[in-house]
Amino acid sequence: MFKIYLFSILLLFGLHSFCRAELIRVYAAADLQYALKEIADLYQREHPEDKVELIFGSSGKGAAQIKAGAPYHLFFSADMKYAEELYKEGYLVTKPKPYAVGRIVVWVRKDSGLDPSKFPQILLEAKKIAIANWEHAPYGRAAKEVLQNYEVFDRVKDKLVLGENVSQAASFVYSGAAEVGIIPLSHAISENMKKVGTYFLIPENKHSPIVQGYGITEAGKNLKGVKKFYEFVLSPKAREILKKYGFMVPGEK
Amino acid sequence: MIRLKIKKRLFGPQGEFLLDVEFETKQAEFLVIFGPSGSGKTTLLRIIAGLEKPDEGFIEVDGKIWYDSKKKINLPPQKRDVGFVFQDYALFPNMNVFENIAYGMKKKDKHKVIELLRLAKMEALKDRRPDTLSGGQKQRVALLRAIAREPKLLLLDEPLSSLDRDIATFLREEIKAFQRRYQIPTLMVSHNIEDAIRLADKILKIENGKIIASGSPREVLFSKNPSSGFILKGILLEKVFRGTDYLLSIAIGTDIVEITASKEVGETLNSGDWVQISGKFFATVREFR
Amino acid sequence: MHEINWLPFWLTIKLASITTFLLLLIGILLSYYLAYNRHKINTIIEALLSLPLVLPPTVLGFYLLILFNKQGLIGTLWYKIFNKQLVFHFEGLVVASVIYSLPMMVHPLTAGFRSVPKNLIEASFTLGKSRLETLIRVILPNMKASILTGIVLSFAHTVGEFGVAVMVGGNIEGETRVVSIAIYSAVESMDYKTAHIYALILFFMSFLTLLALYFLNKKWKPYDKA
Repeated sequence: MFKIYLFSILLLFGLHSFCRAELIRVYAAADLQYALKEIADLYQREHPEDKVELIFGSSGKGAAQIKAGAPYHLFFSADMKYAEELYKEGYLVTKPKPYAVGRIVVWVRKDSGLDPSKFPQILLEAKKIAIANWEHAPYGRAAKEVLQNYEVFDRVKDKLVLGENVSQAASFVYSGAAEVGIIPLSHAISENMKKVGTYFLIPENKHSPIVQGYGITEAGKNLKGVKKFYEFVLSPKAREILKKYGFMVPGEK
Repeated sequence: MIRLKIKKRLFGPQGEFLLDVEFETKQAEFLVIFGPSGSGKTTLLRIIAGLEKPDEGFIEVDGKIWYDSKKKINLPPQKRDVGFVFQDYALFPNMNVFENIAYGMKKKDKHKVIELLRLAKMEALKDRRPDTLSGGQKQRVALLRAIAREPKLLLLDEPLSSLDRDIATFLREEIKAFQRRYQIPTLMVSHNIEDAIRLADKILKIENGKIIASGSPREVLFSKNPSSGFILKGILLEKVFRGTDYLLSIAIGTDIVEITASKEVGETLNSGDWVQISGKFFATVREFR
Repeated sequence: MHEINWLPFWLTIKLASITTFLLLLIGILLSYYLAYNRHKINTIIEALLSLPLVLPPTVLGFYLLILFNKQGLIGTLWYKIFNKQLVFHFEGLVVASVIYSLPMMVHPLTAGFRSVPKNLIEASFTLGKSRLETLIRVILPNMKASILTGIVLSFAHTVGEFGVAVMVGGNIEGETRVVSIAIYSAVESMDYKTAHIYALILFFMSFLTLLALYFLNKKWKPYDKA
């Protein structure tokens, strides 16, 4: 029994070591779920020697994990604040650069019978509204601002279902658990969600601009691949992908 | 040779009492510690084996100190070199008969195990697991296991108490034979007078933790003054009703005799009772073995 | 077409195997102590050991995160010895899993130790065998069913953990993204197909392990009782 055990453990360790190529480990805000995946795929096609590993979650959680010592090489925040905070405390080694500006939408399933363009009335009709937790998700913060600017926050706050990050909030509406979701435009135009839902783009002036910044972490500072990918994100090809997912990119209108 | 003097507080069914024992034995002697249950016999045996610690005293075997409260010596059971036969045998269920016997040997010797098994006529059972053996077979394996390691001292805790009388009688002789053959000093705890009569070179009679008598079986178990006339004293071992009368088995001295008794007399007697056989009775007496 | 990533499975099996193996060693020592020693402090130890059963995994995860991170007591020590972080690394997940699944090993083993008749142990002592040899040759072989139960429960419990893993390990592919987290991630990113496949495999794996456990337990019972 012991022998078999030891053997299988050794075997597993052996197999595991094969899996490690040149690794670029990226923590990214969940709104980048689709866009960054496509950018990473493109990058890996051009640089087969590197492997980009993506971990998505809320910006706040990512910042907290980096402070606690998470081995991420790059950090893509959904705002500038978290990135700058990390930079100031020495966890990021490059000054945070903006790479995209995001927009938010009101999203419903087509089969819900709701019309997202009737905003904000639609919120009063819905039983549950999914948004990301504004405590640590910048898109949640923007969604909250929208609700406040339309002066409905107090009336709907009991209906809010908070996702840990925007992806979770999106999955709440996608699965039908909530009727209405205030989610990133990038999610709304992903293939998955486009098929089953419709959305209404919330006017830019109803929330402060969602300027997203990124940087290289302490753990990633001496890695060549990390530097390459860091630069690749600002390349024209990558910017095209970001634009395709509804982001505005710095320096363009 | 054993020199022993120990004291230990015990909690019996009748409350607290003091086990307070002192004795010496000679080489290769078979000592039976005899007394009713709850008198501290088994505890005494466990103390000698090192499985329990006395409050004070000393134990010396063959000039080696096993325990001395003053010198703060207390050898663990592993260092005491005893062969202990437990009342319920304590055979290892995960090992077969051969492995059980070989387990405690100081020098692994296959032939010795086989020889022991042959002496006990158990060769055929060597690959059997303990749970497939009868009580008597288990008892013999336990005895062989204790003997196989050639201990300085053999300790037997009521080894025959849970067996049928026939098997017990048979095994009693076997224990005696093994003890004689290997010349191992032996201490056996028992409340059975047959054990005491048939096995002991010397008996220690214990009651409530104290030795109340010691000496040869005849000295300890039977009256010292020879009675005048034709009176024999014995202990009733068994009575069997045969339709009209009883057949009584009575231990007298180191012999067992069988005599008949009328239905009326037989009914008043129980095994373990002291009986007197007076010369006035007409008795058919024949040798038991 | 959709490609299934098997890495989380490998990682989970690796984590559960290592955790179970370590738990077996730790569990035997701890349970041996608990089963054969009677101190007042044992009650406290047993209560502490059972804590992971009743505590929400996130509570445990939270405290472990604090202990394991760079400033934390254990984290600092670990960093000094191995020059490596504990949180968000596989090793941290192993340590957390060992703590989390401890009762799953210790409870059956303690019961197993107590089920072995005391006189077998004493017999072994009087036959000149040390505690260690007695443990290996007499005690452990006579509590096989308990050992198997401990192994299976620890393994299954580790495979199933989520709260602790997500707090201490994060969600890092090939390092800490175990199946339970991969399922959560898949659902979150609306990849229901992957979630379904992972979940179904996990379901059948758990069922088959338990089936095997009950089967073997029945088969081994007689020896454990003897």
